[in-house]
Amino acid sequence: MNDRFIERPRSFCALGGAMLTAGAIPGVVPILHTAMGCGGSIYWNQVGSTGYLGAGYCGGMAVPSSNVKEKDIIFGGTERLAEQIENTVKLVEGELYIVLTGCMTDIIGDDIHSVIREFRERDINIIGAETGGFKGDGYKGYDLVLKTIIENYIEKKPQKSKNKVNLWGIVPGQDAFWRGNLNNLRALLSKLGLEVNTFFSESDTLEGIKNSGDAALNILVSEVYGIDSAEAFKDIHSVPYITFQLPIGPSATEEFIRKVSSVLDIDSSLSDNVIESENSLYYRYVDRIADTYNDQDFQRYVVVVGDWNYSVALTRFLADDLGWLPELTVITDFFDEDKDVKINESLAKLSSGYKTKVVYETDASEVQYHLSRHWPQSNGQKFYDSFSPAFVIGSHLERQLAVNIGAGHLTVTYPVGNRVVLTRGYTGYMGGLNLIEDIFSVLVAQR
Amino acid sequence: MNYIDEKVAPKREERLGTCVDFGGSACDLKKKFKGGCMKNNDRGFCQGSICQLLPGLSMLNTIPDSVVIVHGSLGCGGAGHSQSAAVRGRQMLGGSTNPRGTLWLSTNLNEKDVVTGGEAKLEEAIIEADRRYRPASIIVVSSCVPGIIGDDLDGVVAKVQPQVNGIILPVHCEGFKTKVMATAYDAVYHAISRNLLESEKDKERIYKNEIEEATEKIRRSKQVNLMNVSSGTPGDEKELTRLLNALGLEVRIFPCFAHPEDMKYATQAALSISTCPTHDDYFLKYLKEKYDVPYLLKYMPIGIENTNAWLRDVAKFFHLEEEAERLIERETAELELSLKPIRENLKGKKAMLSSGEVRTLATAVWLKELGLEIVAVRPYHYDEFGEPALDSLIEKDQELQVNVGTVQPFETANIIEKNKPDIYLGHNSDNVWAAKSGIPVLPIYGGPNTYVGYTGAFDLARGINRVLKNPAFNKNIRKNVRQPYFSNWYTDHPYKYIVQEDENL
Repeated sequence: MNDRFIERPRSFCALGGAMLTAGAIPGVVPILHTAMGCGGSIYWNQVGSTGYLGAGYCGGMAVPSSNVKEKDIIFGGTERLAEQIENTVKLVEGELYIVLTGCMTDIIGDDIHSVIREFRERDINIIGAETGGFKGDGYKGYDLVLKTIIENYIEKKPQKSKNKVNLWGIVPGQDAFWRGNLNNLRALLSKLGLEVNTFFSESDTLEGIKNSGDAALNILVSEVYGIDSAEAFKDIHSVPYITFQLPIGPSATEEFIRKVSSVLDIDSSLSDNVIESENSLYYRYVDRIADTYNDQDFQRYVVVVGDWNYSVALTRFLADDLGWLPELTVITDFFDEDKDVKINESLAKLSSGYKTKVVYETDASEVQYHLSRHWPQSNGQKFYDSFSPAFVIGSHLERQLAVNIGAGHLTVTYPVGNRVVLTRGYTGYMGGLNLIEDIFSVLVAQR
Repeated sequence: MNYIDEKVAPKREERLGTCVDFGGSACDLKKKFKGGCMKNNDRGFCQGSICQLLPGLSMLNTIPDSVVIVHGSLGCGGAGHSQSAAVRGRQMLGGSTNPRGTLWLSTNLNEKDVVTGGEAKLEEAIIEADRRYRPASIIVVSSCVPGIIGDDLDGVVAKVQPQVNGIILPVHCEGFKTKVMATAYDAVYHAISRNLLESEKDKERIYKNEIEEATEKIRRSKQVNLMNVSSGTPGDEKELTRLLNALGLEVRIFPCFAHPEDMKYATQAALSISTCPTHDDYFLKYLKEKYDVPYLLKYMPIGIENTNAWLRDVAKFFHLEEEAERLIERETAELELSLKPIRENLKGKKAMLSSGEVRTLATAVWLKELGLEIVAVRPYHYDEFGEPALDSLIEKDQELQVNVGTVQPFETANIIEKNKPDIYLGHNSDNVWAAKSGIPVLPIYGGPNTYVGYTGAFDLARGINRVLKNPAFNKNIRKNVRQPYFSNWYTDHPYKYIVQEDENL
C-alpha cells in the first residue's frame, strides 16, 4: 500500500539505495545509466541525510554516469551506455563495475544486460541491475544490488565452511550508522569463532564477497530488509538464512547470539562464555551511570520514530535494557501486512512487558497528531498526568516535535542531518553503550 | 518576451546557445561561442551532474509559507533534506525558535503510475497539502518521470486550483530536457511570472489624499529589486543592502525567501538590480517588458572593480554619481588598508576556480586584482553573460585555460595535477575532488561567509589567506586517499573526452 504521496520521504529511491550500497563496497565503481541529475540528486541528499556521508572513492559528483539526454530517450540509450562503459574502464580504476539504471532508461526499456554481456566477454568485471527510482525505496535498491552480486559475481562453492557466515539486513545510507553497526556485529560474532562477511563495511573486500558462497549461514539482522537477496542466495548457492531483529543492547544481543549459536551448532559453553563476559563488561560501564540515572531521574516517556529495523530495535532496548517508557512507536515505512505480523511478534515479547502503541506514518508532521490521539489530553485540570518527562528518538525531522512537547531529542534514524557519523554503531553490547552515551549526553548538554 | 505565455520556459541551449562542454583558451572560447557552434558539444565520458531540478529546488524550498510537491519518483526531491539546513538558518534569523526547515512532498510515482499516469496522485497531494498545511502557495515541480509518461501538469493545476486556497505554481524541471542546469532559474522565474505577480488581492492602493499618494510615489522611486536565487548568503544580502541603503535606496530581495504574496512588489520597483546576470535575465527582461521596471544586468559585484562598476551602474540610473563616488572612496580606502598585509601574502599564489559562469569569472578577476595568478577557470556553463568578466581576464591573459563543464571532477583532477595551483575555490559538492588533490580549498559561495561587495572582497581575501596558513588536512587526504582514476589519466589531455560539434560534422 504505497500508493500515495509522502511528506519528506525517509528514504532514497531505489537508485539512491543502490548507488550507496554499491559504493559501500571497497573497489566497486558504480556506473549510472540515468539522466544527468540523478547522481547529483542522490549526493545532495546523502550529505544532509546520512550523517554527512561524503562521496568516497568514486561516488558523489565523481560517479560515472551516461547522463542520457532527450535524444537518447527518444532513440534509446544503449549506445551511450556502451560508450560510457568503454571510457569508464579506461579511465576509472575499479575491481568491479556495477551498472545501475534510473527511471528514464528503465521506462524506455534499454537492454543493459546485452551491453554488459559484451564487456563481460572481454573479461571486464562488470554486472548490472535495473534500479529505476520508481521501482521502490532505498531498501529495494539495496536488495537489487545485493541480488545482482549474488547472481552474477559470487562464485559457486558446493563445499560449505562451517564457521563462515554472511551478515546482511543493514542498509548503507538508509542506516547512517551502518558501518559501525556491521563492525560491532562482526566483532561479536567472531568471538563465537565465526568468520563474518558483512559486504558493505570499510573492512570488507571484493575477494571476500566473491568467495562468500561457501558460507554455512546467511544472517539477516532485519526481519524485512534483504529477504529477496537471502532467498536468491539460498536458490543459487544453497545457503540457508535466518532473520533476527536488529540487535541493540544486552537483551536483544544475548538472544541473537543464542539463536545464531543454536542454528550453527556452536558449543553452548562457548556462547555462554561470550554472553557472560560481554554482559558483565557492559554492566561494568552501565554501573557508572546508575548514579546519575537515579539522582537526576533519567527515566523518560519516549516516542520512537524510524524504519522497521530501528523502530523495533530501539523500542526494545529502551523498554527492556534502559527501563524507559516507549509509548508510541512510529514506523515510517508504508503498512505491509506480512511485515506487521513480524513487528507485533517482536514487540509482544518485550521482557519488561511494556506495551507501546505502534502506528504507521510516512509523514513527519503527522507524528504529533498520533501522540495527541494516544496520550490523554488535558481537560484543564490542575493535576494533569502529562507526557513528561519525555524524549524523542527519531530523525532530525523529529526535532520540531521534541521542541513542541518539551522533550529531549536524539537523531538516529534517516534523515540524519544534525550529526556526523563515522565509526559509531548501535548494535550489540557496545552499541547499547554508545546509545546510552548519546541519549544521556542530550540530557546533560545544557549543563 | 512571449516566453511567459508558454507553459514551459525554453531551454537555455536554445534561448542563449549556452555551452557546457569546452576546453581550451579563453580566446578560443570567445571566438567559438561567437560562432554559435558549441551548444551541441558533448562528452564521451561523463560523471553524474546537476540537472535543472536541483537548483530549482534550492530556490523553491526557500519560499516561505509554501509547500513544494515534487512530482516524480521517490528520490527526486531528496536534496530537500540537505537544503533544510540553510532554510532553517534563515528561519532562525527571521526569529523562529523552532524552525521547520523545508516542507516538501513527493508524489512517489511507482511502477503502476508509470503505466497508468500520475495525475490522480498529484491531485490528491495538492488537495491534501492545502488542507494540512494551509500554505500561501503550493509549488508543484515536475521531474523526469511525468515528462515521459505524459502527465499534464498544467491541466491538473487548472483543474484543482478552484478547490484549494493556496496559489498553485506549476514548475517544469524535467532533468533530461536540458543539459544546462541554469535553465532552472528561468523555470522558477517563469512560474513566478505566470502566477504570483498579479493576484486578486493586488488592487490599487486607496490614498487618503494627494500628499499621501505623492509620498508613496517618492518612496517607490527609490525602491529597488535585488535578486538572489539562493547562492547569495545572508552576509551577501546584508552587504548589498548596506551599500544600496547608503545611496538612499530601499531594497527588496527576490525571489528566494520572499513570501509568495510579496512577489508582486517586484513589479512596483523603480529598478531591478541583478547580482548575477546568468541568474536573472529571464525575469528582469520580463519585468521590464510587462511592468516597465528597468533593470541592470551587467556586473556581479565580486571584488573591488566589479563592485565599483556595479555601484556606478546603479548610481547612474538614479543620478547619484557623486554620492556613489564618495561611497566608493570611503569603502575602498578602508578596505585597502586592511588588505595590505594580506596582499603581501597572496602575491604570486596560483589559483584555480570553478562554479557558475559569472561567479567563477568575476571571482577570478578579483583574485587577479589581489595579485594571484589564475591557472585555470572551470565555469559550469558559458554564454553571453560570462563575456564581460571573460574579457577582463583576456585583457591580462589571452591564453588563460578555460574548461566549461558542469562538475565533471575528472577534468579538475587532471588540470590540478598539471598546473599545481596553490588554492582552489569551488562549488559546493565539487570541492572535495580538489581537496583530494591535496590543495587547500575555499568554497566560492555559501556557508557563513560573505562574497560580494567590499565586505565580500575582504572576506574572500582573508579566507584565502586563512586556508593557506595550514593545508595539512587536504595534504593528508592526498597522501592517504587516492582518486579513482588510472595514473595515466594525468598524462592524458584533460579535454580528451570533450567532443566538439565541429569535429562531429
